[in-house]
Amino acid sequence: MPGMQFPYPRKSSNPAAFTGSRSMPLHQRRNLKNLATYIVGGFTLVFFLLWLFGGSSSTSPTAIAKRIPPGTPEVVIVTPIDPGMSSSQKEKIMENRNDYASRHGYATFFPNTTDYDLMPGVPRSWSTVPALRHAMTNYPHSSWLWLLSSTALIMNSRESLRTKVLDPRVLETKMITDKPVVPPDSVIKTFSHLRGERVDFILTQDREGLAGSSFFVRTGDWAKFFLDAWFDPLYRSYNFQKAEEHALEHIVQWHGTVLAKLALVPQRLVNGYMLGAGGTGDEGAYQEGDFVANFHGCAKDPARDCEAEMGPLMSRWREMRDHERR
Amino acid sequence: MSLDRSPSPHEGGGWSSPGLTAPLNEGNGRLRGGSPSKKYGDLNGAPGHVTWASAKANSARVTGHPSYQSQNEGFFMRHMRRVSSGLPYLSDRARYAEKEKLGRGRPAGRIDWKELPRRTGLLVSRRRKHVALLLLLVLMITLFFNPSVNHVYRRTSWLGGGSKFVIILGANIGGGVMEWKGPREWAIERDSVRNKKRYAAEWGYEMEIVDMSTKKRYAHEWRESWEKVDTIRNAMKKYPDAEWFWWLDLNTFIMEPTYSLQSHIFNDLSKTTYRDINAYNPLDIKHPPNGTSADVNAPKYVNYLDPESLSPVGDGDPNSINVVVPQDCGGFNLGSFFVRRSQWTDRLLDIWWDPVFYEQRHMQWEHKEQDALEYLYTNQPWVRPHVAFISQRKLNAFPSGACGDDRGVPAGGCKRFQPSDSEEVAKYECGLQGIHYQEKERDFLVNMAGCEWGRDCWGEMYNFRQLSNRLNRSPWEKFKDWLHDAVKGPKPQQGPYLQPGQRQ
Repeated sequence: MPGMQFPYPRKSSNPAAFTGSRSMPLHQRRNLKNLATYIVGGFTLVFFLLWLFGGSSSTSPTAIAKRIPPGTPEVVIVTPIDPGMSSSQKEKIMENRNDYASRHGYATFFPNTTDYDLMPGVPRSWSTVPALRHAMTNYPHSSWLWLLSSTALIMNSRESLRTKVLDPRVLETKMITDKPVVPPDSVIKTFSHLRGERVDFILTQDREGLAGSSFFVRTGDWAKFFLDAWFDPLYRSYNFQKAEEHALEHIVQWHGTVLAKLALVPQRLVNGYMLGAGGTGDEGAYQEGDFVANFHGCAKDPARDCEAEMGPLMSRWREMRDHERR
Repeated sequence: MSLDRSPSPHEGGGWSSPGLTAPLNEGNGRLRGGSPSKKYGDLNGAPGHVTWASAKANSARVTGHPSYQSQNEGFFMRHMRRVSSGLPYLSDRARYAEKEKLGRGRPAGRIDWKELPRRTGLLVSRRRKHVALLLLLVLMITLFFNPSVNHVYRRTSWLGGGSKFVIILGANIGGGVMEWKGPREWAIERDSVRNKKRYAAEWGYEMEIVDMSTKKRYAHEWRESWEKVDTIRNAMKKYPDAEWFWWLDLNTFIMEPTYSLQSHIFNDLSKTTYRDINAYNPLDIKHPPNGTSADVNAPKYVNYLDPESLSPVGDGDPNSINVVVPQDCGGFNLGSFFVRRSQWTDRLLDIWWDPVFYEQRHMQWEHKEQDALEYLYTNQPWVRPHVAFISQRKLNAFPSGACGDDRGVPAGGCKRFQPSDSEEVAKYECGLQGIHYQEKERDFLVNMAGCEWGRDCWGEMYNFRQLSNRLNRSPWEKFKDWLHDAVKGPKPQQGPYLQPGQRQ
């Protein structure tokens, strides 16, 4: 008999598998182990790929700043006020802007032209540039700044600025393309293919050049660059004949990064000149029903009196406003 | 068994039972001891074709895996046996299919996924694991030290990042238009270009050599020396995937080619650069930016600038750094500086030159675009948040003689100074105000600025080249030099100028 040399019967050489107190059967545990390996391997692969291709984080301060808090005004209307203006005139102008702003949820800003450090001997009109920079600091989340000089009146407050000019699609229809930026014959022309979203600077031309009394600037890094470059002391010390307006024309023609963001719109859209204000032909003249009436040049010309010139139209505006309220 | 005596030891060794000493190749897969051959006659008289070994072999065949290798005749026998036993999968199926054909086994061709880990585990037996690890090690070594693989690794933008850097070298200064370009000028140019080319090739950077000859369109009253700005713009167009552009003057020399730009500066921009101009301010620039008139009572810029422009470090994020510029004893130094591709950089390059500025200031701006940049930094607040400065010794070290003489470093290096010992630090080339090249600290690059006025450009270039070669000798060369010095005494230093009768 096999195994007789042993004192006791031998166990068989293939002992039965002892499952004991395991909760899961053997094959299930093995499958789970395999599954775990696959899962861990998958995670490792994913993390490895993320590490490899992960770019810079998107939580930079500028990204965070882009989250606009609710209630932010979309446009800030900036009107630099000469302290030498009579208080009644000042009140009327502020009333005019505040009325329009309250209708459309915009903000207004009335800095004094003496608030900013211009070099001695520099015309006060240069203060429009730091005024805009100041407005950007005060309203960091607003998208647009509208500079409207104190010689202008907002006559027709029905339309919002967005539907009038700021919306990219509207802007693309209103843009004047391929026009010499400084009439009549500048070799620098506005771009012919410019998308509305890329435009950061909207303004008009009058008969002599670029009109710096009513224009729009989109806030952001480009605006900081543009306004700080425009306010460079060497431009002021150069003594341009028309001060900041000539400087603007110079910048726009010599620096492509500014021209690339510029759009010209028809003058009557946002800056209709009053007849007799000079510097305009018929196509730029204000007509009843237009948006803005600009008594251009009344402040600079000592022979003219802004308050007196603006008086009739101001009453007309009040009439229209009261009529609408009723 | 039915032996009446135990078998005596046999000459072939081992147990005298015939199956034990038979060679394997006779029975590879075949029954051993199946049908008895005449050789193995009866040791015990019985027709002994049922021996222990043959019965074992039988059972091994049937169960499918040999449980005990009793025979081990040499390496190849073992090897071959292992090969055959290591493929149980196929041999199993083949045998089952052949013999029984009951369809019990799975049809050939379908892979059993559940069984895969177990199969691979079986394949990777312990000895095979060791061999595999050894092979992997050898592969890693060849990969890391293989220059072409290394080069590809260093160049790709998502691995080493080399193709993101462009070195722009302004060569051929003057082009011989205003002055003769003699042998020394040619030699300087050759050395400088070769040095940069080698550095770029080693680390996978792009290299752009620019011709700075005097051109009519840059003649006086137009844009003299503003070519740097134009060439950087052209380089940005030519290398659309590159991120950083490094302008280098010709009179520079990379002393430590083993430092890569990434490890030396860019992997940790916030630590290697500083943004606060007040930390080291040779030009005495006011920060925050002040008003433009000299009137002390005038309202300052500070009353209308936004917090980011007013902050001395911008937004503090190294990703917003777009220009890295060193400062020497007199202001910014554009002999070696970095520019990053960005919209801000486009605007800076655009506004850098303006005819109104040029007309009013070109007589004062001796260093041309360098002074123009200092002016823009001082007067246009939008520039400041994105400019970072770097200590001169990190990027643009001067030789002794430029910006005063070398003050040296104390024994033990600059590390022993605390941040508060500013007076002590000012006596040496330590900290942000350290300007001159320090051999002991192994500074990266030397800029022999201003060597045309009063110093010897070629001599300096030659000496720095020799120094760099000596500092970066391979260990074998160091040993050879040590041996030579020990036996024959130190070699005499050869100067840059040929002695009479010497050939170059």
